[in-house]
Amino acid sequence: MIFTLVRIELMKIFRKWRTYIGFIAIGILVPLLHLAMYLEGQNSIDFVTRGLRESFILVGNLLNGYWISYIILNALTIHIPFLITLVAADLLAGEATAGTYRILVTRPVSRMQIVTSKFIAGMIYTGSLILWLAVMSLVVGLIIFGSGELIVAGSQAIIIFDKSDVLWRFFLAYGFGILSMSVVCSLAILFSSLVENAIGPIVSTMAIIIIFIILSAFDVAILRELKPYLFTNYILSWREFFNDPLDLTEIAKSVLILSGHIILFFTATSFIFYKKDILS
Amino acid sequence: MIHRILSVVILFGTLGFSQLKNPETILENVKKEFDKIEDYQVDVKIKVDVDFLKMPEREATIFYKKPDKFHIDSENFALLPKSGLNSSPLGFLNYDYKAYYIREDTVNGAITSVIKVIPLEVSADVILSTFWVDTQRNIILKVESTRKPQGTFFIDMEYLKTKQGFWLPSSMTFSFTVDRSLYPGKLNKDNDSESGKSKEDSSEKETGYVYLNYSNYKVNIGLQDELFEDKNEKK
Repeated sequence: MIFTLVRIELMKIFRKWRTYIGFIAIGILVPLLHLAMYLEGQNSIDFVTRGLRESFILVGNLLNGYWISYIILNALTIHIPFLITLVAADLLAGEATAGTYRILVTRPVSRMQIVTSKFIAGMIYTGSLILWLAVMSLVVGLIIFGSGELIVAGSQAIIIFDKSDVLWRFFLAYGFGILSMSVVCSLAILFSSLVENAIGPIVSTMAIIIIFIILSAFDVAILRELKPYLFTNYILSWREFFNDPLDLTEIAKSVLILSGHIILFFTATSFIFYKKDILS
Repeated sequence: MIHRILSVVILFGTLGFSQLKNPETILENVKKEFDKIEDYQVDVKIKVDVDFLKMPEREATIFYKKPDKFHIDSENFALLPKSGLNSSPLGFLNYDYKAYYIREDTVNGAITSVIKVIPLEVSADVILSTFWVDTQRNIILKVESTRKPQGTFFIDMEYLKTKQGFWLPSSMTFSFTVDRSLYPGKLNKDNDSESGKSKEDSSEKETGYVYLNYSNYKVNIGLQDELFEDKNEKK
């Protein structure tokens, strides 16, 4: 039954024009970034390696598909969440706007199954958007720029990964990206369950993300204490996969916290939807 | 001015030795020995050991042609120290200089003459160099050099005798001081603010090492000039 419901929800999602905004945006934005990197990327590499060039001769090509994909992955913080909320915020609020709540709930399925199917469909949309980002940035990047070593300028060290040591890190990073964006999706669905118009959940979700990021950016003691409790703090933990050695504790902690948020938002949404008065 | 002061200090410091050995001759002999080599090609394994720079071991091929043509070729990204890489004494002494014999010393069991060299050209990027010269084989076994802007670096060399009978390095160990503040983290700024550690570390000087292991020398094989020009462009 749940599979049928998910399939129906996916059909609803992919029949709407707004669903494709994210795919089109990535489809346009990423090639533009590729073009910019093709023209100016060497300057960025030179900037990262300027300290090394003081003492070393650098041979080889660091401007490659891996490096560009790594840069693009940083867009996960703000830009991709917005594309996800466009769809996720409409999953429940859209039913209210269209006046289909009563028809939906009077069918021989439980409210829990309805919420679950919408969550799963939202996650599938999120996953497909991140996979599309992976295809556009990594696959197209490798075709245009080729492969090579990946240079990562971290806060404590510059790490240069062998090209044979990079691809699995990207797979895990994109997998982590799907998890972190699923939190955004869950939050948008939660807000979507509270209102009857998708605009509110979109704005609310983005407002929370932006506020959390701003709070994280201020390096003052009281906000530093708050930082571990902000889920946005863990969205960029995909960078841990580009560390050597991997900090498995930090990765596991981020995965658990993000998964916990999804469960929390799902539970809250289920409760709200279960109690929802569809007669008014 | 610095050069003059250094000259005076070293001159008085070494006066007692009365120039027992002629440092100019020793260095000229080293140059003459290396001058027998027209060109060479050698495979090199590179290992970088710097605290804030992590990278895998690399392999490259180094090409040298007299007097100072030099190129590195590598299928992968490689990183080599700028100073003294071609192991040519001509590269170490490519300026007008004044040499002073300091003392005798032993390096890896070989008796060496320690010679300090001060450039006479103001434009030279070298401030002061010290060479440990094996006068039996006319090769440099150790270098300590202070340069602008890299600072002081040390090179320890071991040699092998090629099939053609030339003494060329089998291994080199570069040790140098690097300023960590030259390598800021740009992509993980949030980590900086979290720990506040990077700010504390920014003024720290660290010692880095680069280990080069040479093999498969091909000496005097008639390398063409175009090879260097093309490769330089590619690099």
